[in-house]
Amino acid sequence: MPYKIPIGPLHPAYEEPYKIIVSCKGEVIEDVQVEVGFVMRSVELLTQQRNYTRDLVLVERVCGICSNVHASTFAMAVERIAGIEVPARARYIRTIVAELERLHSHLLWAGVGSEDIGYRSMFMEIYALRERIMDILETISGNRVNYAMITLGGVTRDITDPKGILEGVAEVRKTLEKVIIPIFSRDPTITARTKGIGILSKEDAIAYGTVGPLARASGIDEDVRESMPYAAYGELGFKIVVQESCDVQARVFVRALEMLEAVRLIEEALKNLPAGPIRPDETPLAIPKGEATARSEAPRGEVFYYVASDGSDTPARVKIRTPSFVNIPSVRAMVKGQYLADLPIIQASIDPCCSCTDR
Amino acid sequence: MDNWWLRALFSIFIWPGLLCGALFGWLLLWINRKSLAQLQGRQGPPFFQPFFDFWKLIGKKTIIPVGVSWAIFYSLPIISLFSIVFALAILPVPWGGAISFEGDLVLFIYLLEMPALIDILAGYATRSVYAQVGSTREALLTIAYNLPFLSGLIALALRLKTFQLSVFTSAPISIATVITALALFIALLAQLKVNPFSIPNAEQEIVAGIHVEYNGLPLALFELAHALEVSTLAGLIAILFLGAITAPWLKLVIFIFISILIIVLVSIIGAGTARLKVQHAFRFYWTWGLIAAVLVFMASLAL
Repeated sequence: MPYKIPIGPLHPAYEEPYKIIVSCKGEVIEDVQVEVGFVMRSVELLTQQRNYTRDLVLVERVCGICSNVHASTFAMAVERIAGIEVPARARYIRTIVAELERLHSHLLWAGVGSEDIGYRSMFMEIYALRERIMDILETISGNRVNYAMITLGGVTRDITDPKGILEGVAEVRKTLEKVIIPIFSRDPTITARTKGIGILSKEDAIAYGTVGPLARASGIDEDVRESMPYAAYGELGFKIVVQESCDVQARVFVRALEMLEAVRLIEEALKNLPAGPIRPDETPLAIPKGEATARSEAPRGEVFYYVASDGSDTPARVKIRTPSFVNIPSVRAMVKGQYLADLPIIQASIDPCCSCTDR
Repeated sequence: MDNWWLRALFSIFIWPGLLCGALFGWLLLWINRKSLAQLQGRQGPPFFQPFFDFWKLIGKKTIIPVGVSWAIFYSLPIISLFSIVFALAILPVPWGGAISFEGDLVLFIYLLEMPALIDILAGYATRSVYAQVGSTREALLTIAYNLPFLSGLIALALRLKTFQLSVFTSAPISIATVITALALFIALLAQLKVNPFSIPNAEQEIVAGIHVEYNGLPLALFELAHALEVSTLAGLIAILFLGAITAPWLKLVIFIFISILIIVLVSIIGAGTARLKVQHAFRFYWTWGLIAAVLVFMASLAL
């Protein structure tokens, strides 16, 4: 007889609260029901009660991991309405911070993933490397989590020591290439837990509207950085990573290769950092009447912002669509017929971010 | 007559039984946790941590889940503890071996199996879905790891033509002993529920597994039984290598040294692997366990 196991909202395998009710037959999962909404903060409504400068601070707190991308996408939408030109140096610095953020987010994910399959040593190793990236981010922005780097029309802080940062990034690349990627691709116990597990077919991936590394691991050739280049991605030459095997291992590989690509982008951007101002001398407080959308590639997939202005200093409407919001339902397609033991790693493989989803 | 009773009681409660077995088990558990932490770049617990854990649990209020009989809730850990204490008392360690008779190996194996069976029962009895999944896994693992474990012991018994444990410890070391030790070590990983076979207590999947509803004193007794299990199983491998030595104190030193070595090996394997699924573990034991079983029989009968 099938029985139901409630997993969550608070569970050792999850970083954030959400609930999966599993119907099991023996150890095989028949169906799941996903519940979200445990950390609802109504950020969208709050943005409509604050001015644009304060909104930048607020949207940065939509997500605790990919904080920078929310501020930069919001800024992109507002810049589009107001017709503000972002200086080249600022675009490069935005790219560098975005890619560093991607590195730290993917490493955080890899750490949590290893923890979910009971590989504590890997967790410690990965978090030690992530700490190096946090140090680099702190060197650049003075902050570890919410970087406060984005302002309308540019960035708030300049990169004064590209050489020092390059050294740190080189060290990160070495550890990635020598330790973390080989272990993840060759260790027999990791392979046993990831290969052929949690298949999300290309059709399902399209039907659920998945985005980001999850979609790219199911063979969908889509990355905002390539299809609609923003910041400095057009000039730096971005190479998309796609895998065809649709399983957890493919998601691991996509993120691993993306990390190497991120390191390359950071190095490239630091070497070719253009001179000039990092922000316009003056940015308007009130934004002219109009509306705009902006998309950018967060570590978890496409982030979408819609901003409408009524000509005042407060937005009339802000709509945020986060990648986890569309990715979380696809857990249902992935776990049917899988073993209960695989549920933690399958749900972790989409890298769910509940504070983003509930925003 | 009186003398034998006294010696038997001493075996059960002092050496190698309850008292020394628990102390030695805690030492081994601490070494396991400390070396694992060092391998993972962590600090690790202080020396007395396993004792603190036990002592703190004893002081906690015990909550019995609704619908579970208190008699079952308390009796299961007590049976588990006493069976493992008796198993340890039979183990022919230096200065021990007061209880020894032809066929004690059979009793020893039976008593060693009890904690696993009690765990399975405890999982079902406490009426939690997590514990029930844990019990199913433990039951499957029991079937799996007993293949190398039992075949190792039976093969050695065949070779020595006895079912008396004290003969095992006085037998000279041969290839058969080494392969038996290897087979027992393979089984040990699943018996102690460490990585890659930490399947019945997989925290990320089924919270604490079998013991999820246990708390306070009964949980402390289960933990104590686990500590004794560690010393019994590590000690069982260690006594196979004592044959060539005559001085009891040297025997003791080698016994402790081999036990610690085994635990450090367990830590190294635990640090270098992810948790497998129960079907992987089953396949592992029925392929490698079978190979070990065949090898151990060949070595015992042919060499």
